[in-house]
Amino acid sequence: MTFPTLNLPVISPQIVLVVAALVILIADLVIVQKRILGWISLVAALGALATVFTYRPASPAFQNMALADGLGLFTTAAVLIAAALALLLSVERVADFTRHAGAYYALILLATAGMTALTIASDFMTIFVAIEILSLALYVLSGFNRRDARSSEAALKYFLLGAFASGFLLYGIALIYGATGTTNLAAIAQGIAPLSVSLPFAPLLPLGVGLLLVGLGFKVALVPFHMWTPDVYQGAPTPVTAFMSVGTKTASFAALIRVLAALGSHDRPWLLALAGLAVLTMTLGNLAALRQTSLKRMLAYSSIAHAGYIVTGLAAGNPRGAEGALYYLLAYTFMNLGAFAVLLAVQRREENDVSVERLHGLAARQPVLAVLMALFMFSLAGIPPLAGFFAKLYVFSGAVEAGLAWLAIVGVINSAIGAYYYLRVTVAMFMSEPAADAAEAPKPGWPVMATIAIAALATLLLGIWQFPWMQSIIQAVSTLALR
Amino acid sequence: MQHVMFFLFAIITLGAAIMVVTTRNLLRSALWLILVFFGIAGIFVLLNAEFLAVVQILVYVGAIATLIIFAVMLTRQVMDPKQPRFNDQARVVAGFATLLFVVLAVIVTRVAWPVAIGAAPVDAIQQLGMDFVGPYAVPFEVASVLLVVAMIGAIIIAREHE
Repeated sequence: MTFPTLNLPVISPQIVLVVAALVILIADLVIVQKRILGWISLVAALGALATVFTYRPASPAFQNMALADGLGLFTTAAVLIAAALALLLSVERVADFTRHAGAYYALILLATAGMTALTIASDFMTIFVAIEILSLALYVLSGFNRRDARSSEAALKYFLLGAFASGFLLYGIALIYGATGTTNLAAIAQGIAPLSVSLPFAPLLPLGVGLLLVGLGFKVALVPFHMWTPDVYQGAPTPVTAFMSVGTKTASFAALIRVLAALGSHDRPWLLALAGLAVLTMTLGNLAALRQTSLKRMLAYSSIAHAGYIVTGLAAGNPRGAEGALYYLLAYTFMNLGAFAVLLAVQRREENDVSVERLHGLAARQPVLAVLMALFMFSLAGIPPLAGFFAKLYVFSGAVEAGLAWLAIVGVINSAIGAYYYLRVTVAMFMSEPAADAAEAPKPGWPVMATIAIAALATLLLGIWQFPWMQSIIQAVSTLALR
Repeated sequence: MQHVMFFLFAIITLGAAIMVVTTRNLLRSALWLILVFFGIAGIFVLLNAEFLAVVQILVYVGAIATLIIFAVMLTRQVMDPKQPRFNDQARVVAGFATLLFVVLAVIVTRVAWPVAIGAAPVDAIQQLGMDFVGPYAVPFEVASVLLVVAMIGAIIIAREHE
């Protein structure tokens, strides 16, 4: 018998993350100063990021189970950046909601390992196991605040609906396997045309892709599979929300892009379904966000709307749309994580949410924080020259290029609706008098401020200095077989 | 003979499955579920998948059903048979469930499934073992990370209230 050749560098980020998680679990027993565990986990996330940058895109590894190509490396880097920022955010405030800091950091790292495994997964087997790792870790993390009943509710709701969505995902995978005879994406890409013709009545593939879209649509919160999002984002501890809102999206969209690219040689009836999902998701997300008074719920609905914009890029089904989606994911990582970080900075120690009123007059009390929050809001609204503007520009131009001008128009109208509630927050910070009960939140320490500053800087830089990012995005998309 | 056996197992599986969802007593539901698992194991045997049949009994009957029974016995409220059986969304759900069933039934009956020709391999279990350390080594190992996550999560959830 022959053993397969191992190409361990392909999974080196995952190895670093899992080993670090186990080290933290053991160190938790002897280290009294829990903050050290946070720094260890941050070093691990940065170390994993370093391995990504030293690695060059390569041929498939582990018999086509994993593929660290441009797409995989780019999205892995985005997830690891999100994890590092979330960990930096957690170091200061984790003691507010749990005494089990070791398990918390370990689970964040394991969730990150699942997400990064998903970005490089090139076989449905790996995709499914990776999704389950990130989901299980996030179910537990969203229930980590045992002092807040809403946190437990969030965990239970997320778990029950998530398990249900996994069923759809698995059913979809089974039907795709039935249609193509393989679970491997590379083999599907090569063999899809002859096999799908040979079946006389072959709705298997579209139906399989449809069920797959339900499963993945749940993870990225597309309407109508979004019901859990506001409750979970509100109930989960704020650093967890910050992390899961961006990390899960990046990883799941990476997998979706990879799967759709593998199915690319078919006549792709699912692109229309994606366009419909995009319209529903953008519109419902934005309309619901208008009415929220809780900022975490508002950002939850806003994150649904942003998932809709990203799907617009995928519905285009062309390289421009995929490039836009990837740029969007990176831009969204910084601007959304930054916005949640500001919420954490103004929330009191015993709180797990912030209302809009709390931000009234923030500019007078903490001008730096208010200016940076305004920057994130402007970017989320899509105002140039910030990253959020170019992200929308790229996905919409992808849609126009694919002949879906109507979809781009719906997107632009939605951006205008979205601008209202983002600007309302800004107006509240700069032009309203502080509320009478605006008791001071604890002054945010330097780790929280550093997270916000890094996110703000990146939001600005992604917009005005695009060359290096766009180069790796274009390289990532060019290796995918998109028509 | 094979057909008779298949229909026997199919009736056992489906009948027990109907009992699972119609019985008011959750503990009885769990016991009926065990019979469902046995029926499916029987169908695996008919398909020459003895290993899957054994795993089905070991894992589903041995572990999962036991776990469910423990969970049912440890939670008091769910055992109350006076709980309402349906809520106001029952009709919507029934509609979607019927739709899904019709779509899947049409698919399963109308598709010309590609069927492999030839006898099942004799050393299927050996082949399965080789595949786990060969082509499927990565998903296999990653699944162990999944178990670690599940274990940490279970301990965190079950810990004392703060």
